[in-house]
Amino acid sequence: MNLENIELIRIGVYGTSILLILIGLYAVLTKKSLIKIVIGLSIIDGGIHLLLIGIGYIKDGTAPIFSPGMEGAADRMVDPVPQALVLTAIVIGFGVTAVALSLIIRLYRHHNTLKIDEIKNLKW
Amino acid sequence: MVGSPVLLIAIPLLAAFLVPLLGMLWKELVRIVPGLVLGYLVILSASLYIDVLQTGTIVETLAGWEAPWGINLVFSPLTGFITTLMTFIGFIIWIYSYRFKRNVEFEAAKKYFIFLMLLIAGSVGIVITGDIFNQFVFIEIVGISAYALTAFYTGRNSAEAAFKYLIMGSLSASALLIAIVIIYSQLGTLNMAEIAANIHTMNPQYRVMAMIFFIIGIGVEAEIFPLNGWAPDAYTEAPGPVGAAFSGIVVKAGIYAMVRMMFTLFDISGTMQVLIIVGLVTLIIAETAALRQTQLKRMLAYSSIGQMGLVLVAFGIGTQAGVFAALFLMLNHAIIKPLLFFSGSYLVFNSKEKKIAEMNGLGKLMPITAAFFALGSFAIVGLPPFAGFWSKLAVLTAAANEGMLLIIALILLVSIVEIVYYFRVINRIYFFKFDTQSSVVPHKPRGNAFLAMAILGILILVIGFYPDAVSEMLNRAADDLLNTPKYIKNVLSIGQTLTY
Amino acid sequence: MKKTIVIILLAAFGYFMATTFLDPEFEKHRNQNGVKNGYLEKTVSELKSANTVTSIIVSFRGFDTLGEVTVLFLAASALGSVLFKKRHHVGERSILLPASSIVSTGAKLLFPAIILLGVYVFIHGHLTPGGGFQGGTIIATGFLLMLIAYRNFSISHNVLSVIESLAGILFVVIGLLGFMNGGTFLQNFMPTGSLNNLFSGGIIPIIYILVGFKVATELTGLIYTILHEKG
Repeated sequence: MNLENIELIRIGVYGTSILLILIGLYAVLTKKSLIKIVIGLSIIDGGIHLLLIGIGYIKDGTAPIFSPGMEGAADRMVDPVPQALVLTAIVIGFGVTAVALSLIIRLYRHHNTLKIDEIKNLKW
Repeated sequence: MVGSPVLLIAIPLLAAFLVPLLGMLWKELVRIVPGLVLGYLVILSASLYIDVLQTGTIVETLAGWEAPWGINLVFSPLTGFITTLMTFIGFIIWIYSYRFKRNVEFEAAKKYFIFLMLLIAGSVGIVITGDIFNQFVFIEIVGISAYALTAFYTGRNSAEAAFKYLIMGSLSASALLIAIVIIYSQLGTLNMAEIAANIHTMNPQYRVMAMIFFIIGIGVEAEIFPLNGWAPDAYTEAPGPVGAAFSGIVVKAGIYAMVRMMFTLFDISGTMQVLIIVGLVTLIIAETAALRQTQLKRMLAYSSIGQMGLVLVAFGIGTQAGVFAALFLMLNHAIIKPLLFFSGSYLVFNSKEKKIAEMNGLGKLMPITAAFFALGSFAIVGLPPFAGFWSKLAVLTAAANEGMLLIIALILLVSIVEIVYYFRVINRIYFFKFDTQSSVVPHKPRGNAFLAMAILGILILVIGFYPDAVSEMLNRAADDLLNTPKYIKNVLSIGQTLTY
Repeated sequence: MKKTIVIILLAAFGYFMATTFLDPEFEKHRNQNGVKNGYLEKTVSELKSANTVTSIIVSFRGFDTLGEVTVLFLAASALGSVLFKKRHHVGERSILLPASSIVSTGAKLLFPAIILLGVYVFIHGHLTPGGGFQGGTIIATGFLLMLIAYRNFSISHNVLSVIESLAGILFVVIGLLGFMNGGTFLQNFMPTGSLNNLFSGGIIPIIYILVGFKVATELTGLIYTILHEKG
């Protein structure tokens, strides 16, 4: 694989993650339904996780697991640290989404609507 | 020595996992165990701090790997000071809220104490950790506890306030993650000391971007403008002791993270100006907004935000005197604001709207509570001989030493605004007639709430009359923040266990 | 009007991000000599655990994992607290519509297989990709399948609570044991065996099994709480 293809992969991964972050931000800032806002937050999280994993990529790298037969291959392995960070970040993102959804259930109970315009009791 | 820094976090976590089980055995344990845990935290933190003041910074490695392979905790004059302050205020909050929802709803009380313990443990974690991703995890712990505590009451508006807080907190956490991505990709490490040592090898453009994302990330917890839109609603809807916890503990951790990042990690010239500008804008907007408030807790929330703006300005002055003043302000604010929240909660206890207008004449019906509120107000606007006077004086002196006359003028102007809106309330309490038609039934504080408020009040008087009692500690802490090379050396040159 | 402002802001933001990340300079200065080399080397020489990501999560950055487990615990508690449910009774009807017979038969067949897969994943966390979080989630999806297929599939909330709390307590206790054995919190105090053996890596498999249990019970409890939400 020559340098050209690596650039394309890199641009593809980073570009997609930035696009995901932008789409998610657009959803959070403009959508009126509460559920769509929470989905937007999840999309932003997805974009950032993709970015984080993309940071760790090494050309022609393989998974950082020393299965039998791969004991000496440390310099051909991708970076394991972003993978560990993303694992933690996914779980945390999941926790926040769960709390957000429960708040939406409670808001729905009170106001019987999911539109943010009609729930604005407090000054936004 | 009763332990080591990691216990400051491990013990509350253990207790939080234990409380549901203990609650099945004996319901009263749900209230007693958090008190024991928080009391232990204060004792541990204080004894470690005394140790640190005598011998030097404690750096503790975890899981047996020295930095930068493992995570390490740093207990220095600065972090130890803030941690002891936070655990102490946490214990006071426990004393105040001991009877919370007693005999009413067991499940709710159980959850309240769990969230409170984890809020404090998370804030302590933000302060003592030496690793940026670990700080992110603790910020999220504090965040989720805060969202749950904001939505605690079952009224109409609390879920909405919590949701607003959640969205802003979530977006800021994402920004923080992007900052971590940039730093890790360029420097290959997550350890704060190693980042500080290698930051000058990073391309300036990336450094600036990382710093901007960091500021957005921590700004929501530190309540700077324009990221503090969630704060007035959250403080109003949350229970009284929770408001005290937010303003006395959480925001201090946020300010510490911001300042640690600016001073130690990033060494760009011009960061001081950024702090001053952000602090001034926050201060002015918050204090003028406080003037227009009709609800008591909202007014206190805006006042809290404004004080934090002042703290940032003091940090931004950048000299030893400036940092000393900022830390002194933080200390005083952590003691005075909870007292105001506690007494304020009782003054508007049975009112639906919690409006200031309903507090007429309560000075005669609840003399002691009103006196506490008055004490807090005098202290926070900076009247001598109360504690707040010395810290305001310190800020003005530090600014004068640098010749920043515009800042001095603005601070004095804002102080006048503060006096106006606090004295407006005191005027109502003491000099207006009590409206017998209103629905506000005065509710006197019980023994434990009274004890909590009394401890805080005594502290305010003590610091007011003997400010030198704390100035030695503050000077050591200030010196520690400014001394980046010593921080790097302390962390990176250690072996595997607890070293000094 | 608001939408155009947002689109302009997003375009500016996207431009900044693109010039930072898609710049060839970014790639050139990417640090290849950071901590990762040390991790890759130490996991073979000292920890004898084949999966580097697992050893980072449980051993090198085990404190982060403790924080993460706490976040999950907080999320489950917050869910219960925000929805302020009273203790619900076993056998209560859920709000879903009844499932078709294909789903109910298939669920009964698949459920044991899913549980087995989940247990396999979290026991072998240090040998193959996977681990406690992944395995626990797989188990929770098995329970979700059963909850969707059978309207009165009941799990005792008390049992879930107890397992969840016990798993968390054991995690911290193991950490403290490392602390008291004259070392630091979460230090490895068990023999590490040899590479690629099931019994290798010291305390890593034990902690990951605990994490697997905790995640499985927590997610199941979470799903159960939402599904049985009284309208």
